Amino acid sequence: MKEVGRNLPRLDANDKVTGRAAYTADLHRPGMLHGAIVKSPHAHARILSYDVSAALAFPGVACVLTGDDVAGGKFGPFIKDECVLAKGKVRFVGEAVCVVAAEDEAMARRAAQLIEVTYEELPAILTPEEAMAPNAALVHEDDAANFRIFQTECGGNLAWACAFSEGDVDAAWAACDVIVEGEFETQAQAHVAIEPCGALAEVDAAGRVTIWSANQSVFRVQANVCDALGLPMSKVRCVSPRVGGGFGNKMEMHVQGMTAALALATDRPVKLILTREEDFEMVRLRHPYRIRAKTGARHDGTLIAREVEAIIDCGAYGDDSPGVMGFSLLMARGPYRIPNFRASGRLYYTNKLRFGAFRGFGNPQVSFATETQLDEIAAKLGIDPFDLREKNAVRAGDRWVGGGAVHSDGFVKCLESARHASHWDERRKRSAAPGKWRALGVACTAHISGLLASAAIVRLLEDGTVVLNTGAVDIGQGSDTVLPQICAEALQIPVHKVALSSPDTDGSPYNWGTTASRVTYMTGRAVVGAAGEVARKIKVHAAEMLECGEADLELREGGRVGIVGIPQKEVTFRDVSLRAHWAVGGPIIGAESVMYDKPTIVDPKRTVFSGLPFPQIGVFSFNAVVCDVEIDKASGKTTVLEAWSACDVGKAINPMSVEGQIQGGFVQGLGFALFEEVVWDGARIANPSLMDYKIATTLDVPREIHPLLVEEPELDGPFGAKGIGEIPICAVAPAIANGIASAASVRLRQLPLTPERVLRAMLAQGNVV
Amino acid sequence: MNGEQLVNLTINGRARAVRATPATTLLTVLRDELMLTGAKRGCNQGVCGACTVLVDDQPVRGCLSLATNLAGRAITTIEGLGQGRELAPLQRALLERGAVQCGFCISGVLISAFALLRQNPTPNVDETRAALSGNLCRCSGYIKIVEAVCGVGEEVRS
Amino acid sequence: MDFYRPTSLAEALSLLAQQEGARCLAGGATLVAMMNAGLVEPSGLISLADLRDLFGITSLPDGSVRVGATTRHVDTAQSTIFRAGQCVLPAAAEKIANPPVRNMGTIGGSLAFADPAADYLPALASLDAVVEVASRDGIRTLPIGDLVIDWYTTVLGVEDIITGVIIPRAPGGSIGVFEKLERTAGDFAIASVALVLAIEGGVCSAARIAIGGCAAKPVRLKEAEALIEGTRLDDAVLVKAGRMLVEACDPVDDVRASADYRRLVVPRLLVKTIARARVALGAGS
Repeated sequence: MKEVGRNLPRLDANDKVTGRAAYTADLHRPGMLHGAIVKSPHAHARILSYDVSAALAFPGVACVLTGDDVAGGKFGPFIKDECVLAKGKVRFVGEAVCVVAAEDEAMARRAAQLIEVTYEELPAILTPEEAMAPNAALVHEDDAANFRIFQTECGGNLAWACAFSEGDVDAAWAACDVIVEGEFETQAQAHVAIEPCGALAEVDAAGRVTIWSANQSVFRVQANVCDALGLPMSKVRCVSPRVGGGFGNKMEMHVQGMTAALALATDRPVKLILTREEDFEMVRLRHPYRIRAKTGARHDGTLIAREVEAIIDCGAYGDDSPGVMGFSLLMARGPYRIPNFRASGRLYYTNKLRFGAFRGFGNPQVSFATETQLDEIAAKLGIDPFDLREKNAVRAGDRWVGGGAVHSDGFVKCLESARHASHWDERRKRSAAPGKWRALGVACTAHISGLLASAAIVRLLEDGTVVLNTGAVDIGQGSDTVLPQICAEALQIPVHKVALSSPDTDGSPYNWGTTASRVTYMTGRAVVGAAGEVARKIKVHAAEMLECGEADLELREGGRVGIVGIPQKEVTFRDVSLRAHWAVGGPIIGAESVMYDKPTIVDPKRTVFSGLPFPQIGVFSFNAVVCDVEIDKASGKTTVLEAWSACDVGKAINPMSVEGQIQGGFVQGLGFALFEEVVWDGARIANPSLMDYKIATTLDVPREIHPLLVEEPELDGPFGAKGIGEIPICAVAPAIANGIASAASVRLRQLPLTPERVLRAMLAQGNVV
Repeated sequence: MNGEQLVNLTINGRARAVRATPATTLLTVLRDELMLTGAKRGCNQGVCGACTVLVDDQPVRGCLSLATNLAGRAITTIEGLGQGRELAPLQRALLERGAVQCGFCISGVLISAFALLRQNPTPNVDETRAALSGNLCRCSGYIKIVEAVCGVGEEVRS
Repeated sequence: MDFYRPTSLAEALSLLAQQEGARCLAGGATLVAMMNAGLVEPSGLISLADLRDLFGITSLPDGSVRVGATTRHVDTAQSTIFRAGQCVLPAAAEKIANPPVRNMGTIGGSLAFADPAADYLPALASLDAVVEVASRDGIRTLPIGDLVIDWYTTVLGVEDIITGVIIPRAPGGSIGVFEKLERTAGDFAIASVALVLAIEGGVCSAARIAIGGCAAKPVRLKEAEALIEGTRLDDAVLVKAGRMLVEACDPVDDVRASADYRRLVVPRLLVKTIARARVALGAGS
């Protein structure tokens, strides 16, 4: 293959390395105003009144909007429980209450400070425990009236409940020779895409809105804005400038709705870019989890049973929480043949910033618990952690929880690859530097690519070059390069002959979103289908032009089609396209829509479930991570010296890009494991700034993170490919925790694995003085 | 505008007169007045590094530099690094090594790396990591960025 | 807001006295960050950029070193003028933030802000540095220990300008080591240890220890130093000295770490820092 499998430099990188790439904040429109937000100082309060007079009188101010001014409805991907601006009450510190548009940002922010809102404070619910207490204040009194896309147990502050069960867990414990049980806790993590959230909205003379925004889906922006402002979708056009990272923060609504409302109210373009502090305080975070897990096995290491219970903090609004909870429970069995499995979760509203989608979508949290327990079992049985995993690994033909098929031996291959590359067997207890302990730790995970719908249109331009339109947003993960590679390969033309349309709800066919590790797999499939249709239509023309049957024809490299076995009998794509445009048939266009349609629960008799947030999920990917962990005995500070991450990607369309995803995901996982934590001081986030919330610098990452690509073709993936976006983050924390356990003989069950926690554990163990 | 004065700056080799109040940062002047949007605002607190530019050939934070205080200094932004359509070897290296993902950090990275290579044309991994420790990247995990910068040095050596 | 760019110290002092609410601008690394965050809104800015006397590192005949107030962290970190234990200061400067910020921030600016978790203060405390302050009444000096009087608060008045810091000669044959415990590279310290140590014939002849990040100002305790001077620096005496230092600390809980952890880790960091110093001195362990 020419284009697929090639380390093609990113097609959008020239603009980026020259400073020409335009992100939302870089855009200017004539007559543009700037927006600023008035935020709630209270976690839970009724809004009694607004006094916007001083703000309106402030020089340069064009408009002030409160929750009362925004007509429309509620939005939310699972529960429609949110408004663009708080209506009637506020539910978290930092919630948007009013917005101002003014001639420049400084004026808008000054004017915002002059707005007076009076509140009646209500008791604030700050933890799931408080939320579930009898007679707790209700975060959403009108919860019953909020539309839910699926029925589930809910009520009071319970936002959603979800459970799966296969086999007979209660009976199975009796068959176990060893059982480990434990409580685990993981923290809220912030996305910290280097580009803060922002939007620019403009209205035309007929009142049609165009919205540029930092987004992961122009279609989700459109749907959310239309829900929120009560507009028909034909009145809203969403487009995408360059996006500076998302990781889940930009998949659902942030400021697009309020920005559009300001543009509609002022009839001028309005740009609203969040400060870094606002990005921390107002958008969304990774869910903190409390997990009770129990895993049982026989002497010989056969895993028999697993049970996982999770209590999950939803925050003030539903957002993607039901999906996160459901997905994490589905993944909690891990890529192992555990016949008896039960998982349940309860999601509670609290008066905190909403928790939502963040790379891994609940999987990093449960994997921390479940992969720790595997190592605990290995230790109790005296079995090597790799051997234990390999013994129980899912293979081609096995079933996931719910009955979904595992299509490959990718997981075993990942285990082999990581074990071999890390020299696991030779280096288990490595020689440590003075004052340090050191050991390797392993952990594994599975993830999915799939979910919902994508589409693609391929159009032959008159000269035989091609334009590809999918609507998929490249948030930095490389789809703007990979999708043209797929298209080019399918048509056997060089990739530079494929132009890529920018995502636009007006013209792009549809992509649910750049999320769920799905764009290569789902949109890629649509691209292959659409290119296939173009190829067929080309052959129809060529058959007429060459006076042969369509079945006699083959595509040839470089945009040609000819009769098999007769090299001189051929026509070019250009010949065909000119004929189509000017003589016969009309422009050649291929289109394909795909929906992930394999049911999550294949057999409801096999798997008992309730509250399932996604009836069809995706194909499985696998990962094994090994970390060379070093602990400073004096401080307990943990460092990863080197790492290996084997990922089953089906087929690497662009290997260099896949490597970058693996390394980047690893480092986000490193932060999750060791030092990233959003901390609350009562109801307020205490560290909403880069001074106080730390992500890794160059000096905090291993000198080498070895991405090991395992390519076991996925049956219906484009050229066998499936996703890579999220899986590299999921098993990092347990790999490090398992390394710490090996190095220092201490078992930690709370993230992050701060120096304090590690040191205290070591002191309690008596390993250090 | 309140307190705005004309400040003479040299940007990418050209003399430019810009309007600034004493509190106006260089970053604001570059982005909003001169439309040089290569330098980005990621935090406005000097931590993320997306605003890094060169002042008299040294990397500094555009968001912490006051335009009024830079009169007479030579400022270089990413727009001034290449050679027209030609990419500088460092830009090409980042591109070819897969070091560029979302790209939001990359202007700042290039500025810091550029300054490093000017002072040390063949940096090793540790020197490169140290020089780039003030440029946060959330996408790449830094590995390919460091490889690319060191790679430029290797090309120089050979 | 008005902007001034005086060309002499006298002019700067005069402006500072006349313009109520005006602040001095050195590197801007802290001041501009605070202005951007809306935490401070000076009525005027007095740039120190043209005051050449405030910039630079010079060695003085008696072996002390004067660091001008507007000397940037990068210049302090890379200077080859420091001798023996004085090197704890460039070691600390190297740990501040990151390269672009080190190209901007100044020692005077850092001292004036008095962040308890910043890196210069413990290094200067371990060196018995002296701060040089100018006002319209003239130049005065004060020991570094007298500079910080409370959290983020110095003894300086609104009309004072730090002009420099004098680092006295360090004990003969001494070495300076700076140990910083941080969450990630370039963060403020959870706790730090600034150490000036001399060993003769396996016996500690001089020890100066300052702990950073554990109180409003760096903690130095002569009793702790006296305890280890004259010994062979065995772990038991170091831990005891460490515990004495902890008693003198007043750490808080913050997002970087808990007060309890700081108390727990300080003696351990002291042992580690001394071990590092011994390796560097070639004295072995």
